Amino acid sequence: MNRIDRLFVDLKGQGRKALIAYVTGGYPTLSVMDKAVKDLVRGGADLIEIGVPFSDPIADGPTIQESSQKALDGGITPGALLDWVKRFRKSHETPLVLMTYMNPVVSRGFDRFAREAKTAGVDGVIVPDLIIEEGGPLEESLARQGIHLIYLVAPTTPKSRREQIARRSKGFLYAVSLTGVTGARRALPKDVGAFLADVRRRSPVPVAVGFGISDPAQARHAAAEADGVIVGSALIQRLKNKEPLLPFARSLRHALDRP
Amino acid sequence: MVREFQSVIGREVKVQIRAFQSGDPDALVACVGGGSNAIGLFAPFYDHKKVAFYGVEAGGEGLRSGRHSATLCTGRPGVLHGARTYVMQDENGQVLPTHSISAGLDYPAVGPEHAFYKDTGRAVYVAATDKEALAGFKMLNETEGLSAALESSHALGFLPRLAKKMKRSQSVVLGLSGRGDKDMAQLAEGFHEPH
Ligand SMILES: Cc1ncc(COP(=O)(O)O)c(C=O)c1O
Repeated sequence: MNRIDRLFVDLKGQGRKALIAYVTGGYPTLSVMDKAVKDLVRGGADLIEIGVPFSDPIADGPTIQESSQKALDGGITPGALLDWVKRFRKSHETPLVLMTYMNPVVSRGFDRFAREAKTAGVDGVIVPDLIIEEGGPLEESLARQGIHLIYLVAPTTPKSRREQIARRSKGFLYAVSLTGVTGARRALPKDVGAFLADVRRRSPVPVAVGFGISDPAQARHAAAEADGVIVGSALIQRLKNKEPLLPFARSLRHALDRP
Repeated sequence: MVREFQSVIGREVKVQIRAFQSGDPDALVACVGGGSNAIGLFAPFYDHKKVAFYGVEAGGEGLRSGRHSATLCTGRPGVLHGARTYVMQDENGQVLPTHSISAGLDYPAVGPEHAFYKDTGRAVYVAATDKEALAGFKMLNETEGLSAALESSHALGFLPRLAKKMKRSQSVVLGLSGRGDKDMAQLAEGFHEPH
């Protein structure tokens, strides 16, 4: 069974929400990232999303853009990240998802990418610039390796299309909380609850909400209508400021688990 | 959609060429950045197989310098900004930085219909360097008194190369996609550079 599916089954049994932590691969360096991921897991993250830095990150705001560029300047490559996953897997069973734009995957070749990801121990892949109409071939390559392709829906996605996308998404469905790019926001849109409730009603897979979630209160608020929350830019900002991640991860965990 | 709206260029050529000759032109030439003015000129002639298409990309400081924007000449298939097309990229699929004397040609991908034209051989894509573009700009100024945009000047810069292969009786239509007024600063700099 795919580690993502197992996670959501377990959480459901416990009546808990998933805490999904995003870090940019190789930011600020691969060794700092390695420690950050392990701290996040210790602090209660259930699933780790690793961003594969890309030169043109069109879905990302300034925080993740800057971290991607820094990581690229440091020489990070998809191959180096897959090697890191392989090492991480020797000590951790935490589900791992790669967030990558389409071009690096096209460049590597779908089958080769899927094989290498499987060998390393990747469980899912998020491709924000891939639409369902074009996703078939990559879905197939990944499915042959037991890896899930996770699609995204946004508040602007028409309702009938939310359903089509949800049916194609494996592992979970990524609900984008707002109209815009990634980045910590002071407040989430007022109608995020209604949006999530609608998405969740239509989705056969668990729904995780991300974009803009920057503190424990927001995480708790967003989680009310979702199966998990994704926190990214807020972690990257802390990494940038050399602040420890462990206490922040614990506070997010606590906010989600509090009855 | 861009092709559809831009195709007014080629449709006007079809009508206006009648003032000069009875049949089609032998060749069409246009600069290619994102590809819109070129596809607008080419597309209405797609089925006129005797009409040759030449798309001219920005060769910058030369294709071997790595400082250029010649996507179709040097790129490989990829996905950028939602389209599968030729993309200037490294071995890991990271998009490469581009350079051109003209801001409008400075783009690491290209409209996907040009990728189709290239792969099917319907059009030929070449590159003109910054220097050739300046020479093309100068040529049109001296012969016609017109200042072309630096983007269009790339097509002009390629023209002498093409003309050498053609007969006097043949005709070429070149798309002048814009005027050079906007490029005065760049032109002044370009012409002052010691050659
Ligand atoms: C005058 C002019 N010509 C050509 C171009 C290149 O665009 P395209 O290849 O899409 O026609 C530009 C772009 O800004 C431009 O300003």
